Amino acid sequence: MLEIKGVTKIYGQGASSVTALNNVSFRVEKGEFIAIMGPSGSGKSTLLNVIGGLDRLSRGEIILDEQRIDNLGEDDLVSIRRGKISYVFQQYHLLPSLTALENVLLPLTFCNAGGKQHRALELLERMGLGKRAKHKPNQLSGGEQQRVAIARALVNEPLLTLADEPTGNMDQKTGKEILDLFSQLNNEGRSIIMVTHNREAAERAQKIIVLEDGRIVDQIQNQRRVL
Amino acid sequence: MKLYQVVLKDVLRRKKRVLYATLGVVIATMTVVGILTIALAGQARIYNQLEKYGANLSVIPATKSLNTGLGDLTLGTVTVGENYIAEDKLPQIRQITDGEIKKALKIDKEGNIATIAPQLLVQANVKGTSVIFVGIDPEEELNIKTWWQVGKGNYFDGLEQVVVGSIAAELLNLNVKDTIALNQSKVTVVGILDESGSNDDYQIFVPLSLLQTSFDKEGLISTIDIRALCTACPVEIISDAINKEIPGVRAVAVKQVAATEMGMLDKISKFMLALGGITLVVGGFGVVNTLMTSVHERIKDIGIMRAVGASRNQIIKAFIYEAIIIGVIGGILGYGAGTLLAYIIGPLIFEGTSVSFVPRYLPISLALAIFIAVIATLYPAFHATKIKVADSFRSL
Repeated sequence: MLEIKGVTKIYGQGASSVTALNNVSFRVEKGEFIAIMGPSGSGKSTLLNVIGGLDRLSRGEIILDEQRIDNLGEDDLVSIRRGKISYVFQQYHLLPSLTALENVLLPLTFCNAGGKQHRALELLERMGLGKRAKHKPNQLSGGEQQRVAIARALVNEPLLTLADEPTGNMDQKTGKEILDLFSQLNNEGRSIIMVTHNREAAERAQKIIVLEDGRIVDQIQNQRRVL
Repeated sequence: MKLYQVVLKDVLRRKKRVLYATLGVVIATMTVVGILTIALAGQARIYNQLEKYGANLSVIPATKSLNTGLGDLTLGTVTVGENYIAEDKLPQIRQITDGEIKKALKIDKEGNIATIAPQLLVQANVKGTSVIFVGIDPEEELNIKTWWQVGKGNYFDGLEQVVVGSIAAELLNLNVKDTIALNQSKVTVVGILDESGSNDDYQIFVPLSLLQTSFDKEGLISTIDIRALCTACPVEIISDAINKEIPGVRAVAVKQVAATEMGMLDKISKFMLALGGITLVVGGFGVVNTLMTSVHERIKDIGIMRAVGASRNQIIKAFIYEAIIIGVIGGILGYGAGTLLAYIIGPLIFEGTSVSFVPRYLPISLALAIFIAVIATLYPAFHATKIKVADSFRSL
């Protein structure tokens, strides 16, 4: 479903240039849960950025659903974000002026798919937030906010969800709840790429890709996967 | 949930910031509304003053004055011609006046249109003081001098009555029901006029025919005031026609004075509006400034919206919605503040003018405010579209 072919990202030019990603290639099948691990500065966030269309490649190709997405214009990227790729951030990134429900509805607002309120509410209920739907983000705990963000990422039924350190801001217990949620979503057949430096989080994935200095140094098929 | 609802909720959260942005719009529209309101009040005042001229046309005897002199020595003025107009020229003057008005306004109706008020001026003594008696047609005169108010007593209801100007009454110590001698005949004071600030205050008004018989001036009048009762009336054409067809009189259009005054006011209004335009631009820059700050504050929010599928156009739209909100609030507040400003400053510019609020300036104010706000928003909005979804997930 997703193919990363020889992806290279070089920041700057000449002698001062930094190679953030160096000829990275791998595939993600539909329904797969992949974790990208590595120390700080290994290029894992850069990799997530280029997959999500937030950053341009220097070389290589990214093919999603048989469509090259690394060379798309702004307008096409908008349509990718509206239906194919969604994001979950470490800092949740909810709009503070909107309630939990409204935050989940926000993606529908932008693609003019009104009238799916019931779907947003269903998702919130699944996240265990049915009763918190009318709360503003500042009235919710970190774990609750992240669950709202996950519901938001799912409301448009994306092909692939990208998560950047989704549990990075949480205590262990809350983090585990969020990870359980990701495992559950994956079991329902959703494709997820998660960047983390947390071993425990990575072990939820079927495949762990380890980056170092912009190169893939290891690809582990996770045998003792925690479900 | 619609985009405008998202914007509205966001605006409600950032009330203070939005009000601050609104301030620039308020100042701009306040200035314009204030200027317009004051100018309108001034115009009304000038119209009022013109009303006090009463007539659109004055007909006077066609006398020629020759100044005679010897070197620097003035030997006096020789007046050539009659000092009076024959009363029997009135029907002809009416015919010409009404005829021209009917022609200009395409009216076929019979009957009189213009008010034609003859006056005979006679100087005479009352209680040893020299006063000017004015013989008038009571009804027509009142039609021209709409501002006349009878302070004490009543207006004419018969012959052998006089109505006295306020200062004349005071100086001569005259009261209602007093009698005064008019040459041989006796007349009763029936009313005293309120002060009007014109020559009328010093004069005594007498029915025309009574004054004519008392002073042996039968069939004579001194001036005729004509009021056409319409602003579009062809005053110049009427005066030309009278001058051409009736010998011995000279018709003068008072409207020329009006035109000059109005021209002045027009120039002042234009100048003030130019000032208002500058304020508008300055206010617009204020809005640009605050909105730019607001873009910086909201880089994160805009990034989030972009990340969940907002297109550049939708971001611009969101800013325009916000501008419309700012414009509506600014327009209403600006209208209120401008009217208030006019109330305070108006009387200082046009003395004794009562400023009234002008409801039709509200939509103008709103349109103007929305226009400035939207124009001022375009640059910040465009700037906001350059915000990438996130330069990285982390920096968001």
